[in-house]
Amino acid sequence: MEAVLKNLSSTAELLAVASQSGAVAQWDKQTLSRAFHWARYCEHISSRFHNNSAIKGIMEKQLQFTNQSLRAAFPGYTDISFSDLSCCQHLLLVGLLKNPELPISIMKILFDTTSPVNNQQSDYQDVTGFCSHIIQCKSARKVLSPLTDLSAVGADVEVQGAMLMERLAALLSQESEACRTEHFLDSVLQGGEGAAGHFCLVIAAALLTTKISAAQTASQGFLLDWLQKKHSVLQLMCSALPTTLLIDLAKGHLQFRAAYCDVLKKWASDMEYSMSEGEWVQPSTNRTVSFKRLTEHFLALFESCPSLREDVENDLNALNISDGDFDVKGLSVWGDLLSALNK
Amino acid sequence: MTVRLVCIMSQLQPQNQLQQTSEPPLNVQELQFWLDKAAAWGQADSPDTRKDTCLHLSRLKDYLQLLLTHMNNMSSTTERMKTLPLLGQFLGRLCWNPYVTADATGRRLLLQCLWGLYSEHPGNALERKANQWIRKVLCQLATEEDDDAAALALMKRMGVSPKEYHLKVLKMMVALLQENIGKSCRSLVDLNQRCSCDNIRATSEACVPLVTCPEAALLIGALLQQPMTCVRAALSQDFLDALSSAYSSQCISLEEQAVVSLWYHNLSSLEDAVLSLLECVLTNTGSTPQELKQQLAQSLLPKACAQHCSIFLVANDIFRSFLKQTEGNESVKYLIQTFSSCFLRELARLQHKTSGSWKALFPQSPQSLLVPLLTRPSEMPREAWKHHLNWLSGSLQTLTEEEEEGDGDGSRSTRLEGHHKVFEAWFLLIQCAHWVQVAVWLLVTSDPEDCGPLLWLLTFYHHPTNRGHHRASQLVHAKEAWDHLHSLYSVSSCPLPVDRLQSLVTLLSPQPERPSLSPLFILNLLVNFAVFFQQSLSGSAEILQTVVNRSGLVNEAACVLRSLELRLNEDSCLSSDTNRVHLRINALQNTLTHMHAASDPAGNQAHAHINAQNQTAVSSSSTPPGSLQNDK
Repeated sequence: MEAVLKNLSSTAELLAVASQSGAVAQWDKQTLSRAFHWARYCEHISSRFHNNSAIKGIMEKQLQFTNQSLRAAFPGYTDISFSDLSCCQHLLLVGLLKNPELPISIMKILFDTTSPVNNQQSDYQDVTGFCSHIIQCKSARKVLSPLTDLSAVGADVEVQGAMLMERLAALLSQESEACRTEHFLDSVLQGGEGAAGHFCLVIAAALLTTKISAAQTASQGFLLDWLQKKHSVLQLMCSALPTTLLIDLAKGHLQFRAAYCDVLKKWASDMEYSMSEGEWVQPSTNRTVSFKRLTEHFLALFESCPSLREDVENDLNALNISDGDFDVKGLSVWGDLLSALNK
Repeated sequence: MTVRLVCIMSQLQPQNQLQQTSEPPLNVQELQFWLDKAAAWGQADSPDTRKDTCLHLSRLKDYLQLLLTHMNNMSSTTERMKTLPLLGQFLGRLCWNPYVTADATGRRLLLQCLWGLYSEHPGNALERKANQWIRKVLCQLATEEDDDAAALALMKRMGVSPKEYHLKVLKMMVALLQENIGKSCRSLVDLNQRCSCDNIRATSEACVPLVTCPEAALLIGALLQQPMTCVRAALSQDFLDALSSAYSSQCISLEEQAVVSLWYHNLSSLEDAVLSLLECVLTNTGSTPQELKQQLAQSLLPKACAQHCSIFLVANDIFRSFLKQTEGNESVKYLIQTFSSCFLRELARLQHKTSGSWKALFPQSPQSLLVPLLTRPSEMPREAWKHHLNWLSGSLQTLTEEEEEGDGDGSRSTRLEGHHKVFEAWFLLIQCAHWVQVAVWLLVTSDPEDCGPLLWLLTFYHHPTNRGHHRASQLVHAKEAWDHLHSLYSVSSCPLPVDRLQSLVTLLSPQPERPSLSPLFILNLLVNFAVFFQQSLSGSAEILQTVVNRSGLVNEAACVLRSLELRLNEDSCLSSDTNRVHLRINALQNTLTHMHAASDPAGNQAHAHINAQNQTAVSSSSTPPGSLQNDK
């Protein structure tokens, strides 16, 4: 364990030197290869222990300690944390390329185009052409994306959905308490600007994965349970995602279908009739959906799940009756909804 | 293609190298043209701009190569920027064009141009700025993640690095596109529905810069192998050309079936492949028959020819031209024979109906000869071979006689037609050389009266044209050779009749004054006698050694033995007792190797005395233990 911690510190120091120090001017191909080898090692450590909170904590402490001394040594230093370790090679690369002291010969090695691509995940990966391969990959994506943009969920979101499922499966297989997995999902939500919106799309992709194993079915179940408790996320999903996706989700998961209906009904119940606009509207503090849009949601749902229609209409009817069962527009959102749906 | 044929032939007969042409001068207006193109491509991302990019990609790469050459001729960045002021802008725009950067050659040339603008020791502000710009652009290309910021942030939480993520997404895209290709028109239930085959063309176009991208290999394979029953499912020509040139310069490897599909759809890639094979085989004269067979199998051409008649027709046409232009060169004949045998075997494996498709495969050959020649000896009872060969010999004779009559009094067109028929018959005979070998074998056991047709056939095989009316005398020599061999081998006592030996050696050594019979013909006959005649091994070995040594044809004889052995391995119908025959061949091969080591390879009559001594030494040591000494 001590050796591992020492290695982590050394790699953090290496990253600092790579990005901040003029010492890179002395680097040759061997030094470069070794540096990337160490970065790969850290990536490996990260994936090995990210589910083990005890060890992860120890490593985090070690890194903080190292950060302190590095901050003192290098004025422009940015701290690294355990979560950064999964992208260690990328950090190293960015640091190196931004370092004006990096010899051009080293850059030429990184951007070399002659060697064949080595896709193996072995420890003896050649660092030659590292950047060339990245460029090829990114460019190939751009070339192919006009052809694949036609589906509702793009290849990129599908991959992210698949990764989410993998991560959930790993967490669920290890944890005896579900709360750690929940915490994980919660933390992703708080990722930053626009993170929640993006995450909704990824969740949809994860739930729509069709070729799944038993482990993945469990992951999907867990995700749905978590969603059930997160009303804000559900609402965000229902307002931001395209209707086709929502319908696919409703068709694929009864739990989602029920939750979806609930969200729609909640939206309706929050609506008030506005005299000036002559229409039912949501309170001004939270306008995400119009009455028309709400109706469209219901209609789409009925079209794809015909069995639902009767139950929902019965519910709406009951609610309308409790509102007085008037036949006049503008008095009960339920009555107006029913008329709109049956037009 | 003819230029390449000429080049290959010149390697068979060495000639002076052509002078290298100098590079064209640099045209600044051309740079403006390409800069405008690059700007247009960068501005809008529409199907038209994408199409235009793929259309121009190959020429753009040529231009970049030209630029690079000129840049290398200049001494500093300042000079380069002065001569080509638009260069920086141009390269900068290309860096952000994914079609250029995805393509391996495009990327390489672009980067090399950028390095060309980098100064190790910048001498002024311009050079310093250029350096900074280059570093910045490269850093951005490799690490900028604006488009995927949200995704990468999420992936980081999942423990997935940016490089890994990009790779996974690319693979996912390839998988999705592959799936789409699988859905052809035929699977549509409602015929009014628009088929999705338009996608195929667009996808193939998008793959133009991706032919060398390993992740796209499966997609490219799927594109090549899709059924293509729909008119709209045609592959882009630029795609086929890019694929073909990448494959022939060995930058990529494709699955077997993908290669066959490529050849099927792209004539120039097929021609390239056949010419490369010819080049390779004919310049590698040292390979054994076994190695040649392996080379042919590895080239995938026999398999491809068996799968598609059109591929065979093209390949055969190239062989035909080659044969004509090299005037029946022996190595070419041998290659064609071996190729045909591999091809026919592949065809049999595919279990095609034989009679129906022969005409389609050999439209130019005399139709009456097709089935008789293409039927293998193993498909016929052995007793019928003699009759069959007599018939073949007769038919060919008739053809040549018709040609000669036509030569005399016919119009030019009838003469040409006559020549053409004879040539095609001869070409087919070469391809069906299994019958030629059966003829040689039969001659070993024939009576003198029965030799005529067989000797005629073999003479024709080695000398298809009767130039100067030499055939008559060639036939005489052939009969003489046979007589000598027959009597030499029938004699069971030592010493060997010297006059017979000498006459045979004379026949084997071509003299300039008289029209001679191909030594290879006689050698083949000699070797077959040695292997198959009912004579003791030591006796046969001695005769073979003597003749071969005196005429200096040791290597050639060894080669003939190897070919014979190979053929016996494949087609064991020639002998009822293959083990015994194999042992005999091995023993004879050993004799030849020992002899080769012991004597002067040039071997001539001046050394006959030494040779005689060597022979007795060798023949006593060449018989293997536990013996075939007295085999009958």
